[in-house]
Amino acid sequence: MTRRQLITGLISLACAFVIFVIPFIFVFINASKSAAETARLSFALPQEWRFWQNLVEVVQARDYQLLLAYFNSIVITVGAITLLVIFGAMVGYVLQRRKSGWNKVIYGFVLAGLMMPPAVVPTIWVLQGLGLFKTLHGMILIQVAYGLGFCILLFRAFVSTIPRDLDEAAIVDGAKPWQVFFRVILPLMKPVTVTVIVVQSITIFNDFTHPLYYLPGKENVTVQLTLYNFQSQFVSQLNLLFMNILLVTIPPLLVFIFFNRQIVAGMTAGGVKG
Amino acid sequence: MAQVVLKNVKKSFGAVEVIKGVDLTIESGEFCVFVGPSGCGKSTLLRMISGLEEQTSGTIEIDGKDVSNAEPSKRGIAMVFQSYALYPHLTVRDNIGFGLSLARTPKPEIKRRVEETAEILQLGPLLDRKPKELSGGQRQRVAIGRSIVRNPKVFLFDEPLSNLDAALRSQMRIELTDLHANLGTTMIYVTHDQVEAMTMADKIVVLNGGVIEQVGSPMDLYERPATPFVAGFIGSPKMNLYEGKVAEAMGCATYGIRPEHVVISDAEGQWTGRVRHVERLGADTIVHLEVPDLGPLVARVEGSRTFEPGQQVKATPMAEREFRH
Amino acid sequence: MRKRSPYPYWFVLPAAVIFTVLFLVPTIASFWFSLTNWDLFDASFIGFENYQQFFSEPFLLRGVVNTLFFAVLTSGAKTVLGLLLAVLLTSGMFAQGLQRSIVFFPVLVSTIGVGLLFTELMHPTEGVINLALGAVGIPGPGWLTNPKLALFSVAMVDIWRGVGLATLIYIAGLASISPDYYEAARIDGATRLQQFWRVTVPLVRPATTTVIILSLIGGLRLFDLIWAMTRGGPGFASDVLASVVYKQYQAGFYGLSTAGNVILFLLIAVLVVPLAFRFYRKEVDQ
Ligand SMILES: Nc1ncnc2c1ncn2[C@@H]1O[C@H](COP(=O)(O)OP(=O)(O)O)[C@@H](O)[C@H]1O
Ligand SMILES: [Mg+2]
Repeated sequence: MTRRQLITGLISLACAFVIFVIPFIFVFINASKSAAETARLSFALPQEWRFWQNLVEVVQARDYQLLLAYFNSIVITVGAITLLVIFGAMVGYVLQRRKSGWNKVIYGFVLAGLMMPPAVVPTIWVLQGLGLFKTLHGMILIQVAYGLGFCILLFRAFVSTIPRDLDEAAIVDGAKPWQVFFRVILPLMKPVTVTVIVVQSITIFNDFTHPLYYLPGKENVTVQLTLYNFQSQFVSQLNLLFMNILLVTIPPLLVFIFFNRQIVAGMTAGGVKG
Repeated sequence: MAQVVLKNVKKSFGAVEVIKGVDLTIESGEFCVFVGPSGCGKSTLLRMISGLEEQTSGTIEIDGKDVSNAEPSKRGIAMVFQSYALYPHLTVRDNIGFGLSLARTPKPEIKRRVEETAEILQLGPLLDRKPKELSGGQRQRVAIGRSIVRNPKVFLFDEPLSNLDAALRSQMRIELTDLHANLGTTMIYVTHDQVEAMTMADKIVVLNGGVIEQVGSPMDLYERPATPFVAGFIGSPKMNLYEGKVAEAMGCATYGIRPEHVVISDAEGQWTGRVRHVERLGADTIVHLEVPDLGPLVARVEGSRTFEPGQQVKATPMAEREFRH
Repeated sequence: MRKRSPYPYWFVLPAAVIFTVLFLVPTIASFWFSLTNWDLFDASFIGFENYQQFFSEPFLLRGVVNTLFFAVLTSGAKTVLGLLLAVLLTSGMFAQGLQRSIVFFPVLVSTIGVGLLFTELMHPTEGVINLALGAVGIPGPGWLTNPKLALFSVAMVDIWRGVGLATLIYIAGLASISPDYYEAARIDGATRLQQFWRVTVPLVRPATTTVIILSLIGGLRLFDLIWAMTRGGPGFASDVLASVVYKQYQAGFYGLSTAGNVILFLLIAVLVVPLAFRFYRKEVDQ
């Protein structure tokens, strides 16, 4: 490393720190203060560290709503991702392997699904018709519908790296189409599956807009909605608001630390994510 | 052991006819090689026999049964792919046993048959490795093992040696020939390499542009090529072939003479030519001549004789070895 | 008898059903409902009245204009800053990997969390930003309370949050440029600046297209950040289409809300789809 690279590095690191890191430190400091102290919103360290008390208080707020929200968010995320991986991989596989006029049509829908905003009120109308409005099942299926485009593109790109000979070897070995897929192709898609899981779980966990529309009701609250709901309650208790922000920031931070590589792969793969 | 019979088999991809009507009988226990230039339809023909590709018309019989519409796994065939197509996520053991496990064969029997197969191919110590931990030759053997374990009536090979280096390739040629001798099973082998065809086959099928040019034993094809294409394709270096005025002067449409059947002398001969280029291979020498009466002529001379570029020499074809069409 | 394909279309079926029922049907239905007066039970056809209203009521029209302004501003800024940051972060400087992570991390954080955090930081009197400005003698503006500034402030936060993704895509794009080009340019005597304009910018075009497509879509559809920070306020100053759609939904004007949705839909169709289809054609044909 040259002197020049060292110096630009240090300057740039300082800037990155001020612009991107300080806000998070600010969250942490204020999440550790008392309500009276946060009212002044300063960078001063807390006179009394109340991190743990604040944590307990946030968790207990509104009848342990945060725990319920974590539970709901996890159910939605896990449910949606399971379906997304299986269904998305199946489509990506057939789309890549089979060449026909339908492919262009399917492609059109995939891209439309990636780019177009959902028509929210008509969706509520459909959900109500199906009895899925305000249900976790409904929310799971919605997340699947909205996430499919991304998953299909990623899976399709990956399938093109799996030689077709493998499918044919399995067919000669007597495998039925679903056996070729589940016993040969799906196990080979592990890397891209991890990418899909990581990227989609962050997306779904962080989703605010769609639960706001499709999952109203106190018992259906999700993590992002608690934050929003608490905002009004915590006007005089900013310390708790910050604690709450901290709590919703931690899961993606952990995922980021452990799956950095997969996230980068997923987010840059053809740049398909909005 | 089974006979394979193709009757007027045709294949089109969209509007393009790739196989234009093939009639062929491969006898039980025969080692049959499909050879021809790249893109002539060898793989397509083999894949139709395997059932991976559906013929547009015509019928295919294996062991006396019409299998034209049967699933690949129901035809009693096994196939070795050019890329080997080993399942990367499975060990050698599971690769070889994959087909058996799909057929719900009991575990102890799978184990027994996999180990028997491993014995034949000396794969024993490798059974618990993954394909990526194997060398090219070992992968090749596993791919063969995977087909042996199914006890097929017919083995199909699609250019199985083309990913190996030259030394390994000639070793595997011998191993495959031995395997055929031991098992005695019908084998159909696709290659674009006429040397492989000549050295391994009982019967060679020369394909060109989707039609069979000639079927015969290696020596048949070498000595009595039926068409100019076969004459030019079989043998190395290639036969000298002449059309048009030169051939007319010889009283035929196409005249040919193999380089090894041209006699070079300084004194006298039928043609006079000028040496343009000399390749010394040690055991023999290949001389490229420019003959005013013919055009370019290649001759192969035993031993390492010295020729100078520009030198004038005489050349004579061995009379009984000439090809006229 | 035709043999069945080893790649049967029923593999597509589960995904197709979910996508059709929950995405396509509502989308198609939205065109109809946007022409009605609708309360979820009864829809009475009123022609283009909802659309007329959208373009005649200043507070609705404001949403359309704001959406375009917001999308173009954030998309442009993310493209330019993303490229510059990517060049910086591939220059082999000190702590490069760490800095890439720092720049990228906000992309993964809850938008609502970011919005609420910056709402506090941008507080006109108590907020850290204005306190810091005040300390050096500059009177800080009312970032979110000044109607002229509110949308711009949200855009700043959106850029803060999203530039990491643009940077990441550009880093991938830069990595795919062969170093040979730079060596050839240097042998031809190109300065660093010339290398940037003559080699980097043209060869990183696919990444640029991707960044523009993604950030335009994100900008046009943005809802959560606006909602967390200003709820379209003060007044209607920072309303965008997505927030108008939500407000009209809450107010029970379902037809009007859906018309807003269709307008957003058409904006994306006109601005982004042609770009995206040309870009993805390669992949479709492969
Ligand atoms: N799936 C396919 N679709 C369209 N054309 C094909 C397909 N498979 C093979 N072909 C064409 O058929 C011809 C024969 O191919 P192939 O049998 O693979 O030749 P070979 O194995 O002799 O090199 C080639 O021209 C090839 O382009
Ligand atoms: Mg071939």
